[in-house]
Amino acid sequence: MQHTICALATGAGGAVALVRLSGPEVRRIVSELIRRPAALEPRKQTLCSIYDGKEVLDKALITYFQAPHSFTGEDVAEFAVHASPYIKGRLLELLCEHGAVAAKRGEFSQRAFLNGKMDLVEAQGLCDLIASGNKAAHKLAMDSLDGKLSARLEEIKKRLSELLAQIEVRLDDVDEEMTPLSDKFVEDEINGVLGHIKALADTFSVGKYIKDGLKTAIVGAPNSGKSSLLNALVGFDRAIVSDRSGTTRDTVEETLEINGQKIILTDTAGIREHALDPAEKEGMRRSHRAMEAADLILFVLDAFRSLTPEEKELWQDICRQNKRTIIVWNKTDLSAQCPLLEEAEKYPSVAVSCKTGEGLERLKKLITADVTEAQTADGLMISNLRHYEALLRAQTELESVLIRLESNAGGEIYAEHLRRALTHLQDLIGEVTPDDVLGIIFSKFCMGK
Amino acid sequence: MFVCEDNYDVIVIGGGHAGCEAALAAAKLGAKTLLLTQSLDTIAQMSCNPSIGGIAKGQIVREIDALGGAMGRVTDHAALHYHMLNTGKGPAVHSPRVQCDKKVYQFTFKHFLELQPNLDIMQDEAVKISVSDRAVDGVLTLRNTFYHAKTVILTTGTFLAGTIHIGTEMFRGGRYNDMPSDGLAKNLRDDLKLNILRFKTGTPMRINARGLDYSKFRLQPSDNPLQPISHFTNAKEQSKRTFLSCYITRTTLETDKILRENFQRSAMYSGHIHGLGPRYCPSVEDKIKKFPEVTSHPLFLEPEGFNTEEYYIQGFSTSMPEDVQRALIKSVPGMENASITRPGYAIEYDFSDPRDLFPSLESKRIPGLFMAGQINGTTGYEEAGGQGLMAGINAALKVQGKEPFVLRRDEAYIGVLIDDLINKGVNEPYRMFTSRAEYRILLRNDNADLRLMPYAFKLGMLDEKYKAPFEKYQALCQKLIEKPALSADEDETELFPWTAEKARTHADIYHKYAGYYERNKKDAEKLAEMDSIKIPEGFDPSAVRGLLFESAQKLASVKPQTLGQAGRIPGVTPADLQLLAVHIERFRRLKNAKAAR
Repeated sequence: MQHTICALATGAGGAVALVRLSGPEVRRIVSELIRRPAALEPRKQTLCSIYDGKEVLDKALITYFQAPHSFTGEDVAEFAVHASPYIKGRLLELLCEHGAVAAKRGEFSQRAFLNGKMDLVEAQGLCDLIASGNKAAHKLAMDSLDGKLSARLEEIKKRLSELLAQIEVRLDDVDEEMTPLSDKFVEDEINGVLGHIKALADTFSVGKYIKDGLKTAIVGAPNSGKSSLLNALVGFDRAIVSDRSGTTRDTVEETLEINGQKIILTDTAGIREHALDPAEKEGMRRSHRAMEAADLILFVLDAFRSLTPEEKELWQDICRQNKRTIIVWNKTDLSAQCPLLEEAEKYPSVAVSCKTGEGLERLKKLITADVTEAQTADGLMISNLRHYEALLRAQTELESVLIRLESNAGGEIYAEHLRRALTHLQDLIGEVTPDDVLGIIFSKFCMGK
Repeated sequence: MFVCEDNYDVIVIGGGHAGCEAALAAAKLGAKTLLLTQSLDTIAQMSCNPSIGGIAKGQIVREIDALGGAMGRVTDHAALHYHMLNTGKGPAVHSPRVQCDKKVYQFTFKHFLELQPNLDIMQDEAVKISVSDRAVDGVLTLRNTFYHAKTVILTTGTFLAGTIHIGTEMFRGGRYNDMPSDGLAKNLRDDLKLNILRFKTGTPMRINARGLDYSKFRLQPSDNPLQPISHFTNAKEQSKRTFLSCYITRTTLETDKILRENFQRSAMYSGHIHGLGPRYCPSVEDKIKKFPEVTSHPLFLEPEGFNTEEYYIQGFSTSMPEDVQRALIKSVPGMENASITRPGYAIEYDFSDPRDLFPSLESKRIPGLFMAGQINGTTGYEEAGGQGLMAGINAALKVQGKEPFVLRRDEAYIGVLIDDLINKGVNEPYRMFTSRAEYRILLRNDNADLRLMPYAFKLGMLDEKYKAPFEKYQALCQKLIEKPALSADEDETELFPWTAEKARTHADIYHKYAGYYERNKKDAEKLAEMDSIKIPEGFDPSAVRGLLFESAQKLASVKPQTLGQAGRIPGVTPADLQLLAVHIERFRRLKNAKAAR
């Protein structure tokens, strides 16, 4: 039986967003979301309230297409909702919470093709789409994580696989040489991991950027035109939500809205002041901290001179951050040649004239590309949503262990849930194979005849 | 050269646990079969421990038995001690283990083979597999006899280019006191160009029990009541037999000291052995080296038979020199006055990369050549027997022009075993563990009959007389699952060898695992769906644009037959599978379009 898959079908912008759901469980999921037994009539639009807990998330126009008379050849429902990033993001999360799975890149079209709804010529485009996701998928996911998150993931992987090994080794220990695992130990381990998972789920939740804003650090030398860029972004947009100085006199935070998305710009002023003491490199450290906290880095460079040693060092630091980064060439004449920057081709770059405003639109598009970049013909925020969903499923499995511990269900049951949790987390932490678990067992315990 | 006038459907090379099952199964399915073995007196020999079963292995024996193999029945016949393992844990990990009289075991098996219609047995050593038109056509032996064959099953155990090590002493052998198969090893490597690799394994010393101080051992009596390992053995009758006990003792600080002082003299640590050994079956010197904080290791004394004083000492596997082995024995409480009858040793041997096999265990390189057991990189009698049975069945089916018989991962440990081997390959001798089976809750020793007998009846691997009782048992289980309150005081006539009590137990276990059962079944259905998407003949995965480079390479080397199999190759991503699915459909449509034109 196929999964029921969901994704956003329309791009960013516009007043109405279309979310699509396809698969055998469409009717059940829709009726659960609208809190009514599904009286869905094929090819009729129905206005329904979509519930998120006790609240109504939005009123949506739902159109139902019955298999095989749909785009994919399966049961399909389309939700037309208000195009607020929060509403569309939350709706996708709700669908996943009710058992749908975030569609993989090209998956709707893939189903359409396999069900004979698409011809060979169209299929070629589909293959390109899937292939483009193949290489990018894992890297994209990993790149969007900062150091703290990947440390959390490592911790989750380590603790879960070691707990599984602890349980498995006792299932194999026929001579009862080992002291049994105490319920308390299992409980503590599970709770520890659950804490990490919940924290991660929060950061992955699609609503996060929308609610909290996208943290963007502007870094670069003082004379590179950082401040003018900040002013240009803020000034031209005239959409300042608040304007306050940062907690330290060296950072300025501006909150603004670009393309309907909340952005928190952090300007790390004052590299030069402290650079008087080169050994300390306080300025460098400060921009480093700002970058660590950021979701996005804007590296501003003056296009009319070659890079200073400080800038080169800063660039290395940026590359090490492994984050979404945009290189901003600040210049008045956009036709001029930019100086060389190593590995610049790995990141998007844009030339901007703060005076004329040229290039600013493109920069804004790049800034909000966090939402639009992962957008494909049939999917939005794929990596984020899929990760969120994975965390949710893993959480359910781990909570099941806690419940089953109470009835003393036994190691083979706990192991079953742990293995499933690990499988759900696979895209985030990498695969943990039975052989990996055996590896832990043999390296930690003296087993075997 | 004498060319034998008989034309065989199947020739099995090797008479170990894989070869014996293979020969019996092929012959049972009507294939004219020849079993070639170096020595008839060592057929089905238990070269290592005198026991069958164990964790996960016991489940495999039950599966072999349910599929009509002989291992379970021979074991019950030769049993000298029964022990159901893990009874304190959930039923999914209960595993039967049976100590056997070694000699009774091998001669019972030999007798089974002799009685089997369609099966010839010949004492001779195969030295060359003849291939013409890229397919197997016969076998040449050391006596220069040529046998025609449509298929050949290789079950060479540790014999291929075998080398034995005791300390720094090193000599050629396929097993202690047996010749290695050097001719065949050369043939496989140089002529057939199989991808040959090398593994190492070992066995502990045997001792004479005369002079043992049993007061220093912990007694482990045989289970009472006992549970036969074969579905077809009458438990009541079996219980009337006499059984022996096993004994447990431990290594001491003195053992530790002796090992430490002599590390450099061990074959393993002196650099004489190059083959990779198993992590889970470490020699005692390995244990000391890797776990210096553990100062005492358990040792199990297992009787080698009813009519012998020899004991096998589980836990004392070693490749130390003989003098060190003698000192080791004396360092163990209760064994101070015992003497070694056969020293422990390590052995290195050739095996062939199992990724070159189809799920039927037929070679992708040489049509008609099947392989089972240690030649595929596994270890253990049970793992060998399971593969032997499947290779025997599939060789016979091939000769009869029928579809291969393949077990899925949710159907049997044998399915997990073969699927792992052919998709993941091996980097140490592969032993089964319950943790390798993601459907562990479905794959239990208590339901092997329900899982596999329907296939066995269909194939013709089981006597028809069991069909009616089995179906009655199936129905009873179903009834008790649906109505747990029903009393099981069922009419037991015509139910033998099954009992109403067993059905009741089955229903109870089902209810214990109820939710998990359903979930696993659902997953299994998805798996089956993926496995039902065949990668068509002529489809070239390397021509699929957009696959990750590594995936394309792996797909090209493993050549999976279904989309499901492709997904189980390590490193193949979901996006790769999406691409494959689309391209398979595309390939199918283009082919249809061409056919229509």
